[in-house]
Amino acid sequence: MNSKNKIAEEIIRLRISQMIVNEEYKAKKLKVSVHLALGHEAIAVSVSEILEKDDNLLPTHRNIAYNLARAGKLRPILDEYFLKPTGLNAGHSGSMNLLNPERNIVFTSSILGNQFPVAVGLAMAGKVAGKKNVTIVMGGDGAIEEGSFYENILMAQSMKLPVIFLIENNEWSMSTRIDQRRCHIDLSLLAKSMNIRYIHLEGNDPYRYIDTLKDIKKFTIEDRAPACVEVRVATLGERRLPSSPEFPEGEFINYHSGPAPEVALNEWPLIKQSDEDPIFVLTKHIDQSVLEEDARRQFTALQKEIA
Amino acid sequence: MKYLEHVNAVLRNAVSSHDGLVVYGQNVSAGSRISGFTKGFAVKETGMIINTTNTENSLVGFGFGVMLGGGKAAFFMKQLDFLFLGIDQLVNTYNIIRNSKHAKGSFTILPVTVDMGYEGPQSSSNNFADFCSMARIDGYAVTNKYDTEKIIDIHFGRPGFRIISFSQRMYKDDIIDPGEPILADKDMKFVQYRDGSDATIVTFNFSFPYGWQLGLEMEQTGLKPAVFNVSYMTPIDWEPILRSVRKTGKLVVFDDSKSENLSCFSLLAAARGISLKKDIFIKRKLGDNWLNPVSDAMDIDYKSIVRELSSQ
Repeated sequence: MNSKNKIAEEIIRLRISQMIVNEEYKAKKLKVSVHLALGHEAIAVSVSEILEKDDNLLPTHRNIAYNLARAGKLRPILDEYFLKPTGLNAGHSGSMNLLNPERNIVFTSSILGNQFPVAVGLAMAGKVAGKKNVTIVMGGDGAIEEGSFYENILMAQSMKLPVIFLIENNEWSMSTRIDQRRCHIDLSLLAKSMNIRYIHLEGNDPYRYIDTLKDIKKFTIEDRAPACVEVRVATLGERRLPSSPEFPEGEFINYHSGPAPEVALNEWPLIKQSDEDPIFVLTKHIDQSVLEEDARRQFTALQKEIA
Repeated sequence: MKYLEHVNAVLRNAVSSHDGLVVYGQNVSAGSRISGFTKGFAVKETGMIINTTNTENSLVGFGFGVMLGGGKAAFFMKQLDFLFLGIDQLVNTYNIIRNSKHAKGSFTILPVTVDMGYEGPQSSSNNFADFCSMARIDGYAVTNKYDTEKIIDIHFGRPGFRIISFSQRMYKDDIIDPGEPILADKDMKFVQYRDGSDATIVTFNFSFPYGWQLGLEMEQTGLKPAVFNVSYMTPIDWEPILRSVRKTGKLVVFDDSKSENLSCFSLLAAARGISLKKDIFIKRKLGDNWLNPVSDAMDIDYKSIVRELSSQ
C-alpha cells in the first residue's frame, strides 16, 4: 500500500475505532467520560505523522483520536476506558488524562488551558538538554479564551521555544457556540502582534495538512520560535432534540461528550456527505470502492482485536 | 548574619552547584533581585536564569513542564499570595504528573511568605500550609540556620516537586542558630533542638523564633524544655514528639499561620489522648481588623507562660 493509502487507512481505523467505543458507550458499559472526536481524524493522523522520537504531544480531554493514532491499536485504549489493568495506563488514567509517553503523548489536560504552560516548560527542558525537537500543544476555541493561552504564546515567544500551539476550532465550547459566548478572536492578529507565525488549516485534507505541519515543525525547530496553527474541525455526532414549542424543528445539540446516539457502527463509516467529515474528503483523493474495501477489512480486524 | 543574608548565601551556593538548572521568576535577575532574595545568583553554563513575564499560573505549569521533560526548575517568587494564581497547576497538573510517574526531573517553588503584616486585604493570606494541604504537596518552612542549610541541601534540585518558603518577617533579624540538633528527621520534616523534662515546645509554620525564645526564657529560670520545630506543612508521624510529651506531661504549641486548617491540630488531638498536666496552644488571633493593614507578629507574654509551666 502506498503512503497515500496508508494515511487513508489510518483515518478509517480511527473512525471505526471511535464508532466501536461509541457502541460500548451507548450500551452503558463505560464508567469514565469519553469525549469522542468523530470528525477530528484528519488532523490527528496528520499530527501523528510528523512526530519523531523526541517530540512532545499534549492533547486535551478530547484526546481519543490522537491516542488511537499514536497507540496504533484500539484494545489498550478500550481497556483503559474499562479501567482494566491491561489498559494503556493500567486503568490509572481513564479517558480525559490518557497518556502514552513512549509514543510522545506526555501530558493531557481536562482543564481548559492547563496544558499550555506545561508544554512551554517541556520545550524549555528540551532546549536546556540540547534537543532538536518540537512540542505540540492542543487547545480548542474555548481554551484560547483562558488567560493561560495568551500567557504561554507570550512566554514561548519571549523564551524562543519551539512550541506549536495547535488550536482545534470546532466553534463550540460544550454546548455554547462562539457567537453565543464571546466576540470573534482573530488568532492571526493576536499571533502577528507578537510576531508569531500563524497558519490556518481547513478542509480535512490530510495530505495538505501533513505537508503544512512538516513545514511548520521545521520552522519552529530551526528558528527556535513558536507557531500558532488554527484548524477548523467539526465534532460530528450532533443531533436534534425532539420538537418543542420553542424549537419546532428540534433544538440542535452539538456533540460534546458521552455517546453519540445517532452515529451507528457501519462497515462504511461515513457520517456526513461534506468536507466536515474526513472520510468524505478521502473520497476526493482515492476511489471510494478502494476505501470501502479497506474499511470492511479494518472493521473485521478491529472486531477481532477487541473480541 | 541576618536571616536574608544567610538564606541568600545558601541558595546562591545551591543554584551554582546543579547542572542544567533553570532558575526563573519575576525580577530574579533584574532590579532588586526580589529584595535581595536572589541577589548574586549564577548558574552553571548548562543552566539558565530567566527573568520572566508576569504570568504566575503559567510559571507554575512551566516548572512542571521542565520537570516532566527531565530537567530541573526553580521558581523564585516574591510573595506566596501570587501562588494563588497557580492553584490549577499546583493541583491538577501535579496530580497528572504524580499519577503518570514519568516525570524524572525536579521542580522547586521558593516563595517568600510576607508575614510581617501591613499588606492590606489582598496580600494578607500567607497560609503556606493551605497550599500544601490542597494537593498533598511537600512543603517546608525555613526558620533558622540549620533548617536553611539542611532543607536546601536535601530538597533543592532533587527529583520530584516541593515548595520551600521563607519568612519576610525575619529578613532583617539575626538568623537563629540553634546548633546541632538532638534529633532530625531524614527529610527535615521536624527537628528536635533541645531535650528536657519540664515541657515540650513544638513550633509550626514560621513560629520557631517564638518557641525558641520561650525555651531560652525557661532555661533562664532553671527549667529544661524539649524544643521541636516542625518544618513540614502537613501532618507527619507525631510519635517522636509524643515520646517527649509523655515524659514532660506539658505541651506548648505555637503556630503563626492564619489558616483555620492547621497541621498542629492533628498533633494536639494525638497529644490530648495522653494525660497532660498542661497544654498551651498559641495561635494567631485574628481580630475584626484582620483584613486591614495590621501587624502579623504575635504578642507573646513569655514570663506568664513560664510561670504557668512552673506552677505544676
